[in-house]
Amino acid sequence: MFSQLSLWLTLFFKVFIIQPMRVGIGVSTELDHLKAVKEAVEEAIIQIKPDNIDFALLFTTEEFSHSLVLQTTADLIGRIPLLGSSSSIIISQNGPLKHGLILVLFKLNEGSYFNAACVKDITINNTLSSGEELGGKLLYGCKNVHRDLGVIFSNTNTGDYSSLVTGIQEKLGRGFPLVGASLPKRIDHAENHLYSGSEILNNAVCGVLWGGKLNFSLGIEHGWQPLGKPRYATRTQVDTVNEIDGLPAVNLYKEYFGKETLELNRELKRISVFYPLGIAVSGNKEYLLRSVISIKNDGSLLFRGEVPEGSMVRLMISSKDSCLAAAAKAAKTALDNARGKKIKFALVLNSLSRYALLGRQAAQEIRIVRETLGSDVPFAGIYTSAEQAPLNSANYNLGKTYFHNNSIAILTITE
Amino acid sequence: MLTLLLFALIIAALAIALTYKIQNENQLRSQVSSLKKSLSDMDEQAKLIVRTDIELNKIEEELDKKISGLYALQSLSRMISMTLEEDQIFRRIQPEHLKELGFEKAFGFLWDDKGKRFVLRFSIGYPGEAIKSIESFFNENKERCMDFITGDKTLSSISASNNLITLQQLNEIFKINSFIICPLAPQQNNRGLIFVGTQNLETTVTEGDEELIKILSTQLAQALENARLFEKTWNAQQELEKKVTERTRELTLALEEVKKISDNKTNFVSSVSHELRTPLTSIKGYAAILLTGKLGDLPPEVRQRLEKINRHSDELVHMVNELLDISRIESGKVTMRTEVCDLKEITAKVEDLLSEQLKERKLSFVVEIGPEANAVLADRTQLERVFINLVGNAMKFTPPDGSITIKSRKIDKMAGISVVDTGCGIAEEAHDSIFDEFYRVDNAINQEVKGTGLGLALVKHIVEAQGGRIWVESSPGSGANFSFTLPIAS
Repeated sequence: MFSQLSLWLTLFFKVFIIQPMRVGIGVSTELDHLKAVKEAVEEAIIQIKPDNIDFALLFTTEEFSHSLVLQTTADLIGRIPLLGSSSSIIISQNGPLKHGLILVLFKLNEGSYFNAACVKDITINNTLSSGEELGGKLLYGCKNVHRDLGVIFSNTNTGDYSSLVTGIQEKLGRGFPLVGASLPKRIDHAENHLYSGSEILNNAVCGVLWGGKLNFSLGIEHGWQPLGKPRYATRTQVDTVNEIDGLPAVNLYKEYFGKETLELNRELKRISVFYPLGIAVSGNKEYLLRSVISIKNDGSLLFRGEVPEGSMVRLMISSKDSCLAAAAKAAKTALDNARGKKIKFALVLNSLSRYALLGRQAAQEIRIVRETLGSDVPFAGIYTSAEQAPLNSANYNLGKTYFHNNSIAILTITE
Repeated sequence: MLTLLLFALIIAALAIALTYKIQNENQLRSQVSSLKKSLSDMDEQAKLIVRTDIELNKIEEELDKKISGLYALQSLSRMISMTLEEDQIFRRIQPEHLKELGFEKAFGFLWDDKGKRFVLRFSIGYPGEAIKSIESFFNENKERCMDFITGDKTLSSISASNNLITLQQLNEIFKINSFIICPLAPQQNNRGLIFVGTQNLETTVTEGDEELIKILSTQLAQALENARLFEKTWNAQQELEKKVTERTRELTLALEEVKKISDNKTNFVSSVSHELRTPLTSIKGYAAILLTGKLGDLPPEVRQRLEKINRHSDELVHMVNELLDISRIESGKVTMRTEVCDLKEITAKVEDLLSEQLKERKLSFVVEIGPEANAVLADRTQLERVFINLVGNAMKFTPPDGSITIKSRKIDKMAGISVVDTGCGIAEEAHDSIFDEFYRVDNAINQEVKGTGLGLALVKHIVEAQGGRIWVESSPGSGANFSFTLPIAS
């Protein structure tokens, strides 16, 4: 009799009470991978309560033994869908970590869906098709359900990121919103790793497609301002700008900095961080930023991301204050777009260039994000080499996804 | 005609319009030209801004780097300076410190004077095989490395010349793109070097970095020196403790031996005294019988000799008795019958006993006993002997018209009693020995007055047996003050 009653009660609660989404974040700065994973898992599990975990995000700094980290994580939380990456610096609620590991565990509500997928071996010749392949794979798991947003991580070095995004959107919808990160190169110039389940991937793109009873809000800003007169990219090839105003592209930088190519090359890291090229976007007062990666012998400039031919470009400049104000604005926009709903988790994708520009104030930027979102909002993230997101934060789901440099993107999840 | 007029009007209107348009166009051209000039001016200003900005950024970056480096160095220095174990010093250097300093690889070697080779003390960022090959490199180039260390100059990507080895070769050996090597050479036995490097192509070593690593190497060298000094001091202390233990053991044995000898002496003195007392009693008895004349009249010379025998026998009996008393007290055979005594009563009895002699020597006897001496714990008979001895001595060494005073005061919960005289005094060098058995102060009075040299020894034994202590304060010509303490009855 009693067991029958409890069975009824269980069924009643299963049917009528929808469990809210739960998120647990564990952070560890232990040097040993085993101790680090154990500490992070224990901390995250306490917050999420021992339950069936649906999905995990894992961010680590680059010096860990990545295969052992994944193996230990799987041993402790089971073989659940997991995405993540390594980066030079990761973002915890307490600030940037140059050494550490962050594990985010998700227990979704019953009306929410997700599907994670990866595509490997991306080359310059198959960027578009790789994007399409990923889009197809993501879609395969979420057919016939409402899809909200995709989050992607890539460590491909093809340079043609636009084709990758276009490929994904070919399958998911031309205006389907994507938020993503391109991983920075490691200190030894090798690629940072992508994590997919227990696999470590290089030259790949991974994504997760979210749908159902989830809401997302986005804030993305950079804080750079145009300087000098407008110019035009008169000849370009994807991410290479051959000519600006009919002259070799390098002339723009030579002119502004009063330096010859050799000297510019010496200071390229600084120039890349502090003075990116801004591309005017029609109908929008914001500029899309492009950092210089290298100067070619013919005076062409290689940028991180596509520069469309004929686009109006300007040299951009920023300051620490302007960068911090932009971070506050991005967080505020994300918060406002959440429309008062409780934010369950925020993903912070922040450009490594901003970290370099802010120097010792980099931690202040994360503090500003925490203070703006509210100290009770759990968040985690990584420093990136480039970010992917719609340009317009307020109506992000109506716009196309752009490739950004030097920006901070804050994506919040609410129910 | 009208048509012609109309045509002329139209022409005129067109001409006016054209003129107006041309004027407008000229104005616009002028505005465009002015705008272009403004834009060019703005662009020139922008160039100035950019050039100033990049210089400012460079300075700020360098400053940031230095501050971060100094923070890392401060934390590292604190940890290093707190370490007194040589092995632990290098272990304090952690990858996060290196990162803050802008490097991710490091190692340190110290010169082993016995093995005549460089020994690796720490390495960060190098796998086992890589560091082994670096160690081999240093040991294959020992002399050049030693020259570098004794030269005490920092070598780095920016300061290295290509004379001895090219930068490219160094980069290949150490698997880095930028580096700093700094000697550790505070002393001959602490020679070594530390190396920091980075693979990051975008990192350039600055003079500021060199200065920071130089500071680090100085701190390390100082910490190593401190550790070695500590070890040396520790070893010396251990050696000292060992010696103290050994010496304590020897002294304990010696003390036991002395105690054994002392016991033997006490037993011997006791036995001999007993053996002496029996014949002495007979001698004294027979001398006394002869002196009574019962055995016949004695010629004056014989009587005189017999009286001497009698007197000397008395002295000898007195000495033997005192020796016996001392040995009894030393051996613990005498049980002190402790009772509450009023010192006033005892001093009155002593004064009564010695009043004739005091009068005879024209000495005044003053008693200044306070309430603290109303109830002391002592063996009354033995305490009387103490006063008789001390007052007797004072009488012996105080010239006529002098005074002998007995005073009391409280000393640390004990009653302090002093016998003060106005006699010839005692030299300071004799103060320690005066209570020794058979010790007699070397002065004119002692040469004239006979004494056993046992009185003060006996007094000391009696006072100490009752839980007190005795001492003397005196200097030649200013009298003597013999003080002793006794417990006060609660």
